[in-house]
Amino acid sequence: MAMEYQVAEEKRLLYWLGERLIDYRLPVTIGVLLLTGFFAYCAFQLRLVTSFGELLPQSHPYIKIHNRFAGTFGGANNIMVMVEVKEGTIFTPETLNKIWRITEAIDTVYGVNHNQIESIAHRTVRYLKVAAGGTMRATPVMLGEVKTQEQADEIRRIVHSAENIYGILVSLDDKAALIRANFIEGRLDYRRIFDEVNERVVAPYRDENTEIFVAGEPRLYGWVYHYASDVLLVFVLAYCIEWLLRWLYFHDWRGALRPTITGIIAAFWGLGFIELIGFSLDPLMLVMPFLITARAVSHSIQMHDRYYEEFERHGWNKRRAIVAAFAELFVPTFSGITTDALGVLVILLVPVVMLQKLAITASFWIFAITISELLLNPIVYYYLKAPEPEIVLVRDEGIFRRVVTRAVDAILSRRGQVAVLAFWLVAAGVAGYFVRGLIIGDPTSASPLLWPDSPYNVSHQRIQDKFGGVEPLIVVAEGLDRDAMKDPATLRRMERFQRTLERDPSVGYSFSLADIIRAVNSVFHELEPKWGVIPNNWVDVGGLFFIYFSGSPPTETAKYVDPSYTTAHVTFFCKDHKGENIRRIVQRCKDFIFSGQLEDLGIEVEEDKGGTIISSVSNAVRWEQAGPSWLVSTAEHAGPGPFQRGDRIVRVGRTPVGDLASFRSALTVETANASLIDFALERNGSVVEITVVAPWKAVFKLAGGLIGVLAAANEELFRNDVLMNVLGFATMYVIVLFTYRSFAAPLFLLGPLMLANLLVNAYMAGRNIGINIHTLPLVTVGVGFGIDYGLYIVSRAIEEIRSSGNVEQAVRNALLTSGKAVSFTALSMTLVTALWSLSSIRFNAEMGSLLALWMAISYVGAVTLLPVLLIRLHPRFLVREAATVAPQD
Amino acid sequence: MRWSLGLAITIVIGYSLILVLLDEFVAKPWRHRRLLQRARAGDRTAQELLSRAGAAAGESREARGQ
Repeated sequence: MAMEYQVAEEKRLLYWLGERLIDYRLPVTIGVLLLTGFFAYCAFQLRLVTSFGELLPQSHPYIKIHNRFAGTFGGANNIMVMVEVKEGTIFTPETLNKIWRITEAIDTVYGVNHNQIESIAHRTVRYLKVAAGGTMRATPVMLGEVKTQEQADEIRRIVHSAENIYGILVSLDDKAALIRANFIEGRLDYRRIFDEVNERVVAPYRDENTEIFVAGEPRLYGWVYHYASDVLLVFVLAYCIEWLLRWLYFHDWRGALRPTITGIIAAFWGLGFIELIGFSLDPLMLVMPFLITARAVSHSIQMHDRYYEEFERHGWNKRRAIVAAFAELFVPTFSGITTDALGVLVILLVPVVMLQKLAITASFWIFAITISELLLNPIVYYYLKAPEPEIVLVRDEGIFRRVVTRAVDAILSRRGQVAVLAFWLVAAGVAGYFVRGLIIGDPTSASPLLWPDSPYNVSHQRIQDKFGGVEPLIVVAEGLDRDAMKDPATLRRMERFQRTLERDPSVGYSFSLADIIRAVNSVFHELEPKWGVIPNNWVDVGGLFFIYFSGSPPTETAKYVDPSYTTAHVTFFCKDHKGENIRRIVQRCKDFIFSGQLEDLGIEVEEDKGGTIISSVSNAVRWEQAGPSWLVSTAEHAGPGPFQRGDRIVRVGRTPVGDLASFRSALTVETANASLIDFALERNGSVVEITVVAPWKAVFKLAGGLIGVLAAANEELFRNDVLMNVLGFATMYVIVLFTYRSFAAPLFLLGPLMLANLLVNAYMAGRNIGINIHTLPLVTVGVGFGIDYGLYIVSRAIEEIRSSGNVEQAVRNALLTSGKAVSFTALSMTLVTALWSLSSIRFNAEMGSLLALWMAISYVGAVTLLPVLLIRLHPRFLVREAATVAPQD
Repeated sequence: MRWSLGLAITIVIGYSLILVLLDEFVAKPWRHRRLLQRARAGDRTAQELLSRAGAAAGESREARGQ
């Protein structure tokens, strides 16, 4: 490794590498360009696609239930179309015919599940008609277009007497009708659905007296795609402003061009890789590429600044300046890139396919900056004409330099140091107070993806106002055997479930098989209200079901109950999907299911010293022994049952039981599909094993529908959020530990970063931005931003102390050199990232603002708290460098 | 206006080219003239910068010749 000039021993390899890169510039350039060309080709094939299934945590039990039953009982991808009249009611031939045609039009939209359309004009929405001779038939409410007002009045009469229609598909004031259509998840094409709904459903039927509002997840994503081209406006503006700022900062077009080359090459590699491995871009993740490109540009600005500095220092020798800049910044740049890339990789922990894909692609993309920034950098500089010395000298005399110098003087003065420490202490206290309001899930009832006054949110709000709740939570009642849904006790339990949950303020209304059976029973008994109940025996229930469902094909009845009457559902229509409301509703469901099972088992339990004790045994449940098992008996038998007061539950099935929570989950898991349940009970010091025949015919299982899948996503995010943060910071700790070979160095860098993290989380809480599947990765990526700033400053301080031998002087010089570039990078990047606030997609706008804030706070932490801590604490990893010899030319 | 990728790329390339040309043929000569004017008007900083830049330009040519 012979070199014409002397360098410190530990940097010799890097200087050698820089020299060799220039020597072998042609093959390296050709290799990188060929690869970049290939990735660029792939990048241009990339399409914006959202795969709904990839947004869900597929391993979560709710999602498994959702996936099993979405095809029959309804999924999370519903579109609601509300037809509302301004004057009069919907019961006129003109409006009813519109509803008829809109229902037909919906049926032709791509991906719709033809058996899961609900509308008074659809064949699946029926009412009971008593025909001559006492026979009854379930007939569709509308059999065709309405010709006369008398026919319209007849439909009004039918609607008003049908419990499953009035208030659910027709508003109570008769001014609006709702058409609900479910879409097949595998055939969701949001753009196409959006366009077809606009062309076929909205445009032809909207007039002076008729308003049409459309809401639902496919519609929401349709709007997101519609607005996605905004990203190009933001991109163009950001590019132009950044170019101008860099040109003003460097006083040279090369300073503007060089970071662009880095950003573009990294972007081609990143986007090409996404396409190459079969992934796609989600329109809600477009901030992410922007953010990674901003990182690439940031590193490049540092390098370019250093190149100018070294150009002057090395007597205007371009080659030596290039190699010195490369070698001196290699460690902080590579360390920064590695922390960012590995930090993003922790997102892999969240079992959501989209996030896992994002973790892999973002990580690769960030690592690609190594190629464009480090490998190619010396070569690009070599080919670019060196700047005129006048430019280099003049730019160091500008206003920006003067402002930075004054700010550094102020921060490092004794008073400044105290003020910095006091500021961060107060800021941490205030942030600590506000951060408690941070929510997992959506914090508002409107969609946080779009602005409150967007057409989507206006429609959603109008539908909610008119119909109470429209966002479904589907709880499946799965029978242990055929005909389980004809069991009166099961139907009564479903009815009780509905009445219990309807007390929740966020549940608008509910629907289950119990509603049908009560309505049919009432009609069967000449609409006498006292007969609007669930019959007491299987035969009557079966008879009523026969009356209602006979004549309907299984594809139509399947949305209520499967053909073998084994499985049905209770659907709760919720008023919103706020994170806290979802959590509460799901908890109430769990409480109801658990207490119902205990009631059927005839026991009450309580927690005692970390265990679960049977506190009372009910006499209402009588047991008898049948062979080795216990089963509930209807006989007048009063012998002792399987459970005794004071028994400690040790195990249910194979699941060990500790506290009450573990008993709950054990009971849920072990009774999911079993008709025999094994209990291990500790009784009088010894363990008794008993087997009982499940005293119920069906088990309630959570959860499908939009609320069910959101509950699953929120639970996964809650479970992984803390772990991800801990692992993210731990990854950064390890990398900084190896970079500076010091246990303390990472603490100095991560401390300000953690405070910045706290402040940003507090801001999110204050601005009602929840942690959800879209915000989580951005928040994780944001954490890494601050570490880059700190790495450049600390690395430079180490370099400076080797020549000055004084901590204060070293830190001061680091702030005046690397700190200046950090300041420019942070300020310009904050400005252009804030341009996202122009986006019509509220989510992108808020994420842009959030990330801009993140950059600003991280920057302030890196240039105030970090240097003050270094000066006041004189860390050993810095002081020990004072003894080393400075490199000499 | 509906944005397309082609339009965005055209705008940024055009903008970059304009900025490069402006820098080379307008801004740099203007900056140099302004520095000369300041130096002629007796501005010490400008005079020092010009002399350093002149020396540096010589060094730079020398370094390139090596």
